[in-house]
Amino acid sequence: MNDLIQDLQSPVADAGTGFVRVGMPVSRVDGRAKVTGEARYAAEHPAHDLAYGVVVGSTIARGSIAGFRLREALAVPGVVEIITHENRPRMRSFDLFYKDMTAPAGAPFRPLYDGEIHFSGQPVALVVAETFEAARYAASLVAVDYLPQQHETNLMAHLARSHKPKPLKAGFSPPPDERGDAEAALLAAPVRIEAEYYSGVEHHNPLELFASTVIRGEDGHLTIYDKTQSSQNSRWYVSRVFGLGKDKVTVRNPYVGGAFGSGLRPQYQLPLAVMAALQLRRSVRVVLTRQQMFSLGHRPETLQRIKLGADHDGRLRAIVHEAVAETSRYEDYVEVVVNWSGQLYACDNVKLLYRLVALDQSSPMDMRAPGAAHGVHALEVAMDELAWALRLDPLELRLRNYAEQDQMKGLPFSSKALRDCYEQGARRFGWARRPLAPRSMRAGSELVGWGMATGTWDAMQMFARAGAVLHADGRLVVSSAATDIGTGTYTAMCTLAADALGLRLEQVMFQLGDSTLPVAPIEGGSSHVATVGSAVAGVCEKLRKRLFRMARRLDNSPFAKARFDEVEFAGGGLRLRRQPSVAMSVEEVMAAAGEARLEEKYLMLPKVLKQKQYLRATHSAVFCEVRVDEAFGTVRVTRVVSAVAAGRIISAKTARSQVSGAVVWGISQALHEETHADHRLGRFMNHNLAEYHVTVNADVGDIDVIFVDEDDRIVSAIGAKGVGEIGIVGVAAAVCNAIFHATGRRVRSTPMTPEKVMAPEGDVSVSAAL
Amino acid sequence: MSQTIRFLLDGREVQVTGLPPTTTLLDWLREHAGRSGTKEGCAEGDCGACTVVLADAHEGRLRWQAINACIRFLPTVHGKALFTVESLRAADGALHPAQRAMVDCHGSQCGFCTPGFVMSLFGLYQTQAQPDDSALADALSGNLCRCTGYRPILAAGRQMYALPAPQSTHLPPPAWRDDPAAEADLLARLAALDDGAALRIDHPAGHYLAPRSAADFARQYAEAPHATILAGGTDVGLWVTKQLKPLPLLLHTGAVREFAHVGEYQDARGTWLEIGAAVSLEAAFAALLREYPEATELYRRFASRPIRNSGTLCGNVANGSPIGDSMPALIAVGAEVVLRRGEQLRSLPLEALYLDYRKKDLAAGEFVQAVRIPRRPAQPGFVFRAWKIAKRHDQDISAVFAGFALRLEDGIVADARLAYGGMAGIPRRAAGAEAALRGRALDAATVAGARAALANDFQPLSDMRATAGYRLQVAQNLLTRLQLELQGQFPTRIHDEESRRAAV
Repeated sequence: MNDLIQDLQSPVADAGTGFVRVGMPVSRVDGRAKVTGEARYAAEHPAHDLAYGVVVGSTIARGSIAGFRLREALAVPGVVEIITHENRPRMRSFDLFYKDMTAPAGAPFRPLYDGEIHFSGQPVALVVAETFEAARYAASLVAVDYLPQQHETNLMAHLARSHKPKPLKAGFSPPPDERGDAEAALLAAPVRIEAEYYSGVEHHNPLELFASTVIRGEDGHLTIYDKTQSSQNSRWYVSRVFGLGKDKVTVRNPYVGGAFGSGLRPQYQLPLAVMAALQLRRSVRVVLTRQQMFSLGHRPETLQRIKLGADHDGRLRAIVHEAVAETSRYEDYVEVVVNWSGQLYACDNVKLLYRLVALDQSSPMDMRAPGAAHGVHALEVAMDELAWALRLDPLELRLRNYAEQDQMKGLPFSSKALRDCYEQGARRFGWARRPLAPRSMRAGSELVGWGMATGTWDAMQMFARAGAVLHADGRLVVSSAATDIGTGTYTAMCTLAADALGLRLEQVMFQLGDSTLPVAPIEGGSSHVATVGSAVAGVCEKLRKRLFRMARRLDNSPFAKARFDEVEFAGGGLRLRRQPSVAMSVEEVMAAAGEARLEEKYLMLPKVLKQKQYLRATHSAVFCEVRVDEAFGTVRVTRVVSAVAAGRIISAKTARSQVSGAVVWGISQALHEETHADHRLGRFMNHNLAEYHVTVNADVGDIDVIFVDEDDRIVSAIGAKGVGEIGIVGVAAAVCNAIFHATGRRVRSTPMTPEKVMAPEGDVSVSAAL
Repeated sequence: MSQTIRFLLDGREVQVTGLPPTTTLLDWLREHAGRSGTKEGCAEGDCGACTVVLADAHEGRLRWQAINACIRFLPTVHGKALFTVESLRAADGALHPAQRAMVDCHGSQCGFCTPGFVMSLFGLYQTQAQPDDSALADALSGNLCRCTGYRPILAAGRQMYALPAPQSTHLPPPAWRDDPAAEADLLARLAALDDGAALRIDHPAGHYLAPRSAADFARQYAEAPHATILAGGTDVGLWVTKQLKPLPLLLHTGAVREFAHVGEYQDARGTWLEIGAAVSLEAAFAALLREYPEATELYRRFASRPIRNSGTLCGNVANGSPIGDSMPALIAVGAEVVLRRGEQLRSLPLEALYLDYRKKDLAAGEFVQAVRIPRRPAQPGFVFRAWKIAKRHDQDISAVFAGFALRLEDGIVADARLAYGGMAGIPRRAAGAEAALRGRALDAATVAGARAALANDFQPLSDMRATAGYRLQVAQNLLTRLQLELQGQFPTRIHDEESRRAAV
């Protein structure tokens, strides 16, 4: 193993940072690189023979290409080549070679493979030039003749042809069979509510534009800087699509400017850049525009119907939750939308249904808390509707239906501190002072409302390897092909390793973002810390034991009679727990033993047999205050308290920031985000950051994040569950419920725009759409 | 004439020749200068990842401005001092307080928006000592973050003032240190850049002229009326980065001395503020708010700080978008435009400039040289309101914008000027509603009449931002709100800062 990949520029904490412990609020080790602009992202790696590729996208949503008119574009000075399906280099034809590690069932889109058009904005040509300006200008001159076919992009117009999805996607479980008899129990229930909920298309819109820089070495080796959530997934994809051996391609992603799921699958700029590099035998960079990023995957438009039946005391008798979502014509993108309704509350009669409608769109993609963001939203709004129908406090309704175990499989929870979330969140928020009736609170020209919701997400663990090299000078280099999309992987792993060996944080470097490093999973699903962190803990444990054995064997060793469990690693080395003055630094042990370096490797395999005996999940309780001006329908979210149970918190600062950032995602989902389509053209219309609204600073009030105590050694050896997704789940529902409490109006579609909030009969868009 | 773009980067002179005049500052930094710390996130001034800071000489002192590099053409930084995220760190690696605080407060996650936030904070640090939260939020109004939830960045903005002063030797001290001697070096370097010549760039891709006097500008435009007038470039920049439109001839207002000033103008009718064609929105609003503090929310929500630093009021007015926010307010207070063609000058009430959607009463070769805004009327019964209704607090295009100016005498509406944006193809007054108010007491019955009249005044459109029905209802509700507010029922702050944190 390489001790150190020098040009990866892995960050190290500032000198003087000192000793840290797991759970401490450590400043991120990559902070300096980021605030100085030194951190290089995918589009920022130089090459002396670099050519620039600009993508041309289709203007129709379905049909085929009749031909290209390229003379004008080719005549632009500096243009090197225009690559289309007609002149591209050889690529594999069989669908299977295009399946990346998270591909759903179906035949993946093959960029520039043939002249078929599957969605608007599909790449049809790559213009390559000596300068970016020349490529961009020539791209505007590329003329494409199409043979269009009638497209269908409107989910609401094609609900009738929904189908049962093929469930083959990593991490997906189809809805379980019905338990009890939900419809009969519903009819028998004294209190019932039934409603439909609609959520529009959303796009991830990480701040960084998708980009790949392919640097071609003299020997033809390709080093690719790619915007991805897994260097190894992209490497695997490139190898298979182009038939290039593992040794011919290295993919790197040491810095990723956000992704939120959009980087789970290799995006089309990657094969396009590789194609150009192979064809032209030189280095190539392709950067997508913000507009083009709307032709990547998206959170699918989804229509849901929920029926709840309850006794007068609020006990749930029946839950029916159905969802219909869109997918592409070529893949069955699936996500867990309805299953949460079978797991979050105690109820003996539950029926869950999930179907897809294939449309002429690009395949949807996992987007932060995929499925749960809108699936739990619908459930939690429905629960609020039920609470009002019962004239019961919404929190009390949840407590009366608290699930002590999972009823889908009859399993206990590995840990579930949701009750603590409710209690601590409610106390911090002041929920007890909430008047039951809507329209009870007013401040100036605004109505004030308080709403709450529950959140949940899976606690997952994959397998991973980690390597570690301890040097004689006390430096520790730990590595795994993990990813840090901004979540704090560098910091969490350095903290775990520094704590394990009792080193100063600045003595530890964590290398990630290179496909040649020890295998790590794709960063996604809130599983990275539980997975890679456990691998890091494992490799560090091996180092600790080895170091201890070495120390004990030294002549006149102070540890000669000690057992391993009698020493601790702290203060830069090891010492006796009961007599801390008996200590040796790592450097002293290494020098005395005459070792220049100690190397260990560790394979972390989840304890699947044990894990299968439990339902493993994170939970949250979200409380929210809104102010609504009824004259204009404007909503301000003035306060959010999010209480989260997510296992042991490894890195307090990064974890807290994950949740507060996700709360803003929830506000954004609630009030702002929606991609509008013009179905006549089969195209997204607001494909820029001016018209695709994400929440800005001024839209955000106070956010208070509470981590309740939880430590789950079933989910992971380090006790962590994961915090990436849980923070968004339930936030939009809490906002919706607060708007109801403020105004008495129920808005059943997201985003809850001023117009919908003002509509006298509640929601306009659902009734208009159906 | 000079063909060389000259400016200071970290205080050292840079000369650039041979590039198309529409090369953006961002592309130059990233592709030509090897400074990839400044990021591209949207290429249209929406996300702020490209924020850099300019300094120039203004009234003998340094003036600091955060701007968007992505839509700023490189020739327009001629004669200025440029600072990027790479500029801030001291030679020994010590971070600037804005950087240090961003690390300590965890204001950076994925890091892609971070350089932009750092530069917005640096721009604030250079201009304001101990800003309150509102000023801090304003300084960050042009930056999107998708990771942190913004709170840690606000914390960084507060904390940076508590940290030791920056150590970088090529950074002049912030303006609030009030240390002219320490600014003298950079001011001298800036002065040395200016040889008095006008910048002119001739390139196969297009020409760029930056005349120094109003007479030259007017003559050149009259001679070449097909030229594209470039002021702040906050709209024209997108023609290049988004529409990929060739611009064969650019005529820049920014170097014209006479255009740079906010002056006073007097005639028989009274005294007016005169805002020159190159005056930034930020400077124009500073003058406007002294007369009409009710426009504070308009100022805050008009556009982000970097856009206000680059964009001009005259550009906004001359652009004449039906959803531009300045015009309804200016029309309400009775502003005029000064139009010039060669040596010929004329003035028009602002509302008369707009004929139809994107059609203006401008002859070929004629341009908006200034906007004149009447000083605030002395009478006690003067009432002014400027209200923006949009889906997002900052960086949003209005669904409806209303500018109301009333003169009340003994409770009776003596005069009413009601102007709306977003309700028609042009910003326009509501003649019927005005008539329904005039001569009557401003009570519920009068407002009911005005509301009804408004439905005849406008037939708004439905689009992605709002439906026609919503627009009309909101436009009417704003009249009701005016009445309720004047009755003292409650102050309307559609998004007021103070109540953000107030407990119930």
